[in-house]
Amino acid sequence: MSILANKDTHVVIQGGAAGVNAARRMAEFCYLIKRPLNVEAFVYPPDAGKTNEIPYGSGLIAIPVYKTVAEATKNHPTINTSLVYIGADRAMKGAMEALDDSHIKVASMITEGVPEKDAKLLGAHARKLGKVFNGPSSIGIISAGACRLGVIGGAFDNLVLSKLYREGSFGVITKSGGLSNEIIWICSQFADGITTAIGIGGDAYPGTDYVSYLEMFENDPQTKAVVIVGEMGGDLEERAAEWYGAKKRRVKLIGVVSGFCQESLPKGMKFGHAGAKEGMKGEGSARSKSDALKKSGAIVPATFGALGPAIKETYQELLKSGQVKEPVEPAVLPKLPKSVEEAMRADEVMVAPLIRTTISDDRGDEPCYDGYPASELINKGYEIPHVIGLLWDKRLISKQEAEIIKRIMMLSADHGPCVSGAYATILAACAGIGMSQAVAAGLIMIGPRFGGAVTDAGRWFKYAVDNKMNVDEFLAYMKKNVGPVPGIGHRVKSLRNPDKRVKELVGYVKSLNIKTPCLDFALQVEQVTAAKKDNLILNVDGTMAAVLVDLGFPVDSLNGFFILSRTIGLIGHWVDQKRQDSRLIRLFDYLVNYAAPKRREVPPLK
Amino acid sequence: MAKVLEGPGMGLMKKWGIHVPHYVVVTSADELAKLGQANDWMKTSKLVAKAHEALGSRFKLGLVKVGLDLKGAVAATKEMIGRQVGSIMVTQVIVSEMVSHKEEYYCAVKSTREGSEILVANCGGIEVESNWDRVKRLCLEVGQAPSPDALETLSKDAGFTGALTKKMADFAGKMFTCFDNEDAQYLEVNPVVVRESDGELVALDAVTLLDGDAKFRHPDWNFQFAAEFGRAYSKDEMEVMAVDSKIKGSVKFIEIPGGDTAMLPAGGGASVYYSDAVVARGGKLANYAEYSGDPPDWAVEVLTEKVCSLPGIKNIIVGGAIANFTDVKKTFGGIINGFRKAKSDGKLKGVKIWVRRGGPREKEGLDAMRALKDEGFNINVFDRNTPLTDIVDKALQK
Repeated sequence: MSILANKDTHVVIQGGAAGVNAARRMAEFCYLIKRPLNVEAFVYPPDAGKTNEIPYGSGLIAIPVYKTVAEATKNHPTINTSLVYIGADRAMKGAMEALDDSHIKVASMITEGVPEKDAKLLGAHARKLGKVFNGPSSIGIISAGACRLGVIGGAFDNLVLSKLYREGSFGVITKSGGLSNEIIWICSQFADGITTAIGIGGDAYPGTDYVSYLEMFENDPQTKAVVIVGEMGGDLEERAAEWYGAKKRRVKLIGVVSGFCQESLPKGMKFGHAGAKEGMKGEGSARSKSDALKKSGAIVPATFGALGPAIKETYQELLKSGQVKEPVEPAVLPKLPKSVEEAMRADEVMVAPLIRTTISDDRGDEPCYDGYPASELINKGYEIPHVIGLLWDKRLISKQEAEIIKRIMMLSADHGPCVSGAYATILAACAGIGMSQAVAAGLIMIGPRFGGAVTDAGRWFKYAVDNKMNVDEFLAYMKKNVGPVPGIGHRVKSLRNPDKRVKELVGYVKSLNIKTPCLDFALQVEQVTAAKKDNLILNVDGTMAAVLVDLGFPVDSLNGFFILSRTIGLIGHWVDQKRQDSRLIRLFDYLVNYAAPKRREVPPLK
Repeated sequence: MAKVLEGPGMGLMKKWGIHVPHYVVVTSADELAKLGQANDWMKTSKLVAKAHEALGSRFKLGLVKVGLDLKGAVAATKEMIGRQVGSIMVTQVIVSEMVSHKEEYYCAVKSTREGSEILVANCGGIEVESNWDRVKRLCLEVGQAPSPDALETLSKDAGFTGALTKKMADFAGKMFTCFDNEDAQYLEVNPVVVRESDGELVALDAVTLLDGDAKFRHPDWNFQFAAEFGRAYSKDEMEVMAVDSKIKGSVKFIEIPGGDTAMLPAGGGASVYYSDAVVARGGKLANYAEYSGDPPDWAVEVLTEKVCSLPGIKNIIVGGAIANFTDVKKTFGGIINGFRKAKSDGKLKGVKIWVRRGGPREKEGLDAMRALKDEGFNINVFDRNTPLTDIVDKALQK
């Protein structure tokens, strides 16, 4: 047997993320004791109509979320208990809603920082209705082998270590959440474990106090002794002592009280719990509480450390008198399935990776590019081109190479609004499309006819140089096998109207006195082709390609230099249109040559 | 429980129709002089000037001056502002009119488990403290307001007669209304006096304790709560409070000058048992601290740095019960970072660290603490099999 929470307890949890977390913990306990999940519903208006997925064993259970407690109990009429995980400013309203529902018999509130008056009103309201309001600031209630309400009991391993999978003989009532677990553990190590443990919360006026629960324990034949963990402030421990001393009780009472240190501390010192405060006239001190408990006949160990041995002694007496028997431990207990991460940490599974990366890793405190921490690169003076070198070619390029890349990027960042890429981005921006899609629209234009010839140009110039072709052999090969030479030719520029960008880049690279076999070859090709036709000059794609191949960049990365540089321009165009709040544009009819057939009659459908 | 200084306390009483003397709270003598030109009562009444700070025995300290004219009040203000008393500097002075009166009475409302209690006595000032049996009570359940009849009976029981019976009953009723509507935990007026000019009951001095947790529904609480133990909060204490207000879970830190055993335990409940154990062993606490509710690791790191900065400490107690949901590895990560920082700042020399803890990811957390040994920390780590406060016994063993 147990009190308050048992195998017939069905729960609604009022609240969001914290409530879902509690449900997960409760599911772990249900799994341990091989019972179905006792959480039937959530009440959380923002998520009403959705479900929360609660892991149970290796599966997931979908628990519905409702707007009101009434809806939840209507759909799940077995619900009889509510756990309140609502913020302090709305907690009272939520708990009142639960108490006023005829299905709910017990409401337990974990919320901390609830105004005292609200807690008192809730306590009084529950008493009037003959219900239990537990908390605020309650860690929860747990009945061994039967029911867990809230996160009390801690992690799964602790549930097992504290033998919460089966009933013992000790009841526990604490104000502190952390200490409830400690006492449960002590009861399992020094005795046969607990029946029910209740966190009543550390507030000054908890909804239900020791006495009400002592009364319930007194009427629970399985509970042979009750451990209460008190603290200075208020008079709950004195009331417990008064109850215990009033007449012969069946249960034994063991109690400790904290706060003796206050006798040697500055007055008014504030402790962890709201209720832990000395009264105006020194009433409610640890000593007066401890004395009251002793006087009532309770067992009061001198220190917290002596609590274990005191519990052990009580248990031995119970054994000797035949009131309890040594518990039989189950042979096998369910093991909580591990998550993949946990199992991997424990070297229990091997998972074949889905992807493989060789360039970067951000699992530490900052990203590393090819192994180099980003901040260190910054602090040692490296720049964007070096990051490109690391991520595209996995090597730390020289200052000179970085300068060339920087210049390539600056020269290709933008080419006005009329080219396909910029025009597409502007068109999208004017249609009200967001940045990433509008810029993507521009990037989509990059292909064989616009900016996308860098890779191909590099590939074929490199092919020629690698195979030691002369220009004639190369042009013949290209004509036969490929077609027009990528990187050669321009729509508007020509020998007489040269592309300044090409001149600039070639001039700079040549001035460095480095080996540029590809660039040299490309310029030889230009001499031959331009002599045939004025506009068959080495264009900016071809120049970039030849230079980048000479720097050692892989052919497949070359288009990236244009894409990256031009993205700067495309973003600029999008922002520019946005700033002007440009209107939707469309083509004028006079810009279209309507060459479609004249209007005609549609024949009958056959 | 949040203490409120007289100025805002009287403001709340005035709001609920309780007569209070005219008063102003000023931060300089100049301000008072200007106010004196604007307010007739300051020119015509005798005045009282008091340091408006959370200080005990202000009278003895010369921080209460009575029977002043405006000039005298300005001079008294000038003298008080900027005075240093312990860790508190006087920054405000409250100047109020002296109300001529003969009789002094007492009225208070306090919070009880059932609801509240109205206390009335027909003596006041220091007399009431030596005649506590003359205080009469009216107990009320939460949600229940006192009826006019009950209040009159209370007033009669306390020995009020004639017209005063009803006046005192009304006064007590207004006190209750103020208490109830302002989420007060304690309201005390001592003395209540009969103003000679009009025969009305006036609250001459007020003690106001409010429920700080109810601040969310009182947008007009535009005042600061006063420190509760007769000293100002230190810089480190305020820094931890600032962190506490920002996070899920909590971190708390109060310094106790002169101690040598530093506390860094987890949990509002366990932390007090640890403090008890230190005192029981004859140790001297250097602080009170506590972290709970699975706070972020950086918050615990800040707390750890403050604890490590306490002067003259010999031991640090990193205790804790078996946590329900506080992640031991994560919170210990914060503590470890704090320890490392303190050590690299040259702190923790000769300081012994004692650890005991259980809870989610306890093994990983305790292993990480144990590994600090290799970094030269003097650290002793125990798990759940060592009873809660045994590390204090070990630390303080002579």
